[in-house]
Amino acid sequence: MKATLEMINRMQADGVIGKYAIGGAVGATFYLEPLATADVDIFVMLPLAPGGSLLSVAPLYEYLTARGCRVEGERIVVGDWPVQFLPPHDALEQEALAQAVETEVEGIRTWVLSAEHLIAIALETGRAKDYARIVHFLEEDAVDADRLNRVLMRHGLVPKWEQFERKYLEE
Amino acid sequence: MDRDKERRKRLASLPFSEKLKILEKLRERSRVIAASGLRKMAIRQQKRNG
Repeated sequence: MKATLEMINRMQADGVIGKYAIGGAVGATFYLEPLATADVDIFVMLPLAPGGSLLSVAPLYEYLTARGCRVEGERIVVGDWPVQFLPPHDALEQEALAQAVETEVEGIRTWVLSAEHLIAIALETGRAKDYARIVHFLEEDAVDADRLNRVLMRHGLVPKWEQFERKYLEE
Repeated sequence: MDRDKERRKRLASLPFSEKLKILEKLRERSRVIAASGLRKMAIRQQKRNG
């Protein structure tokens, strides 16, 4: 993972990407016990083009492939890890990226999404494994309930949360 | 149950770098298991085909 993060930081320093943060199972591992996963989700801000529209991920792929990384379907292998780069697709993901938590991995500076944003994004995504991860966070008491409520309210996720609670937590 | 909870808590409290090393080991183990499964399937297939 160290090599993966070093390469991503270099890409950021070279201006190919803006702010980034680790999400998904690897992000959740920051707060919980290690959760087995085959890849890393990196939420990434792409720099704005001069005209103000968002750039595509193509320059990012070009940068990495020029440095020996290989593309595997939707992912690109950076260091030892297949990485999926995810530009934020809504206000929730933009906020998650803006409020990411700074940390270090073997002396390498990096960022991880907050527990509350990981939960909100998992709720929004809504696959079985996402719901299982939310339950995991709650069981481990690894979330600030007030902060989560505020995130859910800001992004119109309260009805979905209530549905989730009825289905998975009230048994 | 309590022991399992305790183990999970202990793992969760490890530094992120340590947890990522465990993740890497888990990932490697999954790859080995998947590869051995594929090998077994190929052997079975070969036997079936005579």
